Amino acid sequence: MAQPIIEVRDLKKGYGNGPLVLEDLSLSFHPGEFTTILGLSGSGKSTFLRCLNRLVEPSGGKIMIPSSILEKGEILEDEKPELDIVTLPLGPLRLWRRRVGMIFQQFNLAKRLSVLDNVLSGGLGGVNLFPSSLRLFSTPTREQAFRNLDRLGLLDRAYQRADTLSGGQQQRVAIARALMQKPRVILADEPVASLDPKLSVTILDILRRIAREDDISVIISLHTLELAKNYSDRIVGLSGGRIVFDGKPDRLEKEAIDRIYQPERARSHAPAL
Amino acid sequence: MTASTNLKERARMHQPSKTAYPLSLPPKPKKKPLRKWALILVLLLVLAWAFSGSQFNFADLASGGPRMADMLSRSMPPDFSTLTDEKVYDFPPELKLHQLFLPVSLGTEQGEIKSRWWNNTFPQTILGATIQTIQMALTGTFLAVLFAFPLGFLAARNTSPHPLIYHTVKIIINFLRTIPDFAVGLILIAAIGLGPFAGTLALAFHTTTVLIKLFSESIENIDEGVVEAIEATGAHFVQIASFAVLPQVIPDFISFVLYRFETNIRAAAVLGLIGAGGIGLIMNSDFRMFQYPQAATSVLVLIVLVMFVDYTSARLRKMVL
Repeated sequence: MAQPIIEVRDLKKGYGNGPLVLEDLSLSFHPGEFTTILGLSGSGKSTFLRCLNRLVEPSGGKIMIPSSILEKGEILEDEKPELDIVTLPLGPLRLWRRRVGMIFQQFNLAKRLSVLDNVLSGGLGGVNLFPSSLRLFSTPTREQAFRNLDRLGLLDRAYQRADTLSGGQQQRVAIARALMQKPRVILADEPVASLDPKLSVTILDILRRIAREDDISVIISLHTLELAKNYSDRIVGLSGGRIVFDGKPDRLEKEAIDRIYQPERARSHAPAL
Repeated sequence: MTASTNLKERARMHQPSKTAYPLSLPPKPKKKPLRKWALILVLLLVLAWAFSGSQFNFADLASGGPRMADMLSRSMPPDFSTLTDEKVYDFPPELKLHQLFLPVSLGTEQGEIKSRWWNNTFPQTILGATIQTIQMALTGTFLAVLFAFPLGFLAARNTSPHPLIYHTVKIIINFLRTIPDFAVGLILIAAIGLGPFAGTLALAFHTTTVLIKLFSESIENIDEGVVEAIEATGAHFVQIASFAVLPQVIPDFISFVLYRFETNIRAAAVLGLIGAGGIGLIMNSDFRMFQYPQAATSVLVLIVLVMFVDYTSARLRKMVL
């Protein structure tokens, strides 16, 4: 397979003196791949996703990315082929965040702003600070926002307030916002947990199509087995902060499923992966 | 008919069935009657202490009653001529009315007369003083918003760039807010002299401290998810404030500012009593010179003004929310 876009080595996360939420995770992600992180609530899925763009600070380990995918700013002086996200200062970290779109269970749109403004907010990393802080954007940027809305079938809603849309539509706006970043990676934290089954399928269809068409690595956390099996190129089973399965969905058999969904029993005989 | 049978049916259902099994009730929580009575006793003692300290006295209240009635009767009917009589306004004979009220170009001498009338003569009338009070409240509130808006972000736990800044701003603001606005007014009058400017600054100062507290608390209550989402796009601090924080807090902010404006109208009137311009000044001098009918007019004007401001700001709030 091609060069990975993210390579996680021995990632650890703990809060204070409590037990580790993530214990020595090592795995890689590739462009165009649709990976599901499957696990129960509390298995560490959200924490893991947030470590990848450092909305959560890891306690140890490395997260390597090829430095070629960052838009060059003057901040990046030394030309190392790989960069470690965990130790990156805020400036270059923002460059990485620009390449990583994120969508959430609660959509996290600014409810009182228009759909268009919400989509435009996805492009904030790449535009001038002061005009954009006053919500002023150049014509090409606005054009891009309209194109992304059109791609999600919401062009006619551009000037509506975001909270007038239904849940499924709001999640589509959130995807359009992520696309504004021209992302190489999309992190989706339980993106369908607040949606009904029919809308869930729609949203996952969109995400998988985007992964294929734009060669984006989509990393999504889910807790339902059926959706994970139907949509993923690859499933990573997480239980108690450890990887208990990593492979193609058709290899996910009863024993592996038990390890994911019955953590107490699995803990004793979980193989070290 | 059906309703009554329904009721009967329901009553039957609630009767204990014949095969009732013995219930093992949970133990009643123990009450501490002694503590309750001790608390009531302490409260009564504190109240008694407070009444004696405030020299509460029914005899004085009874003897004061007729005097109060006398004062009220002497202020009736209010003397509206202070409002309606053209002589009160003392229009300068050198100028025509439109020259006085419209921004037309005038000669140096006429211009001086005009500015003297606006700055010295007009504010001595009830109408002029009322307008001055509104101007003081507007300016004071505006200045306060100007300072409180950025400082509010620094004083909010979730938007402050550093915990040290957050704690420093909070402590300073909590301290400064304890100084009442008329105390600030007294200091400022001593420093820069009598007049509306000192009063306006006093309002601005106190309102700033109050608004920072209200703004920062509103910012601390926002939905953090949106902040997280915008932060994840690689946005800068200012952009996060503009896209994730502001849209959530703007309705609160507007409502706080309108409320403070209302409060400042009343506060500006009180500041007049200590010599800081506005309608309070007129009211005070009328009372002191026993001009009760005139004083009654200024009180009525103030009531109408406050009611008007309450009403308009309620309308405004509805419009923006």
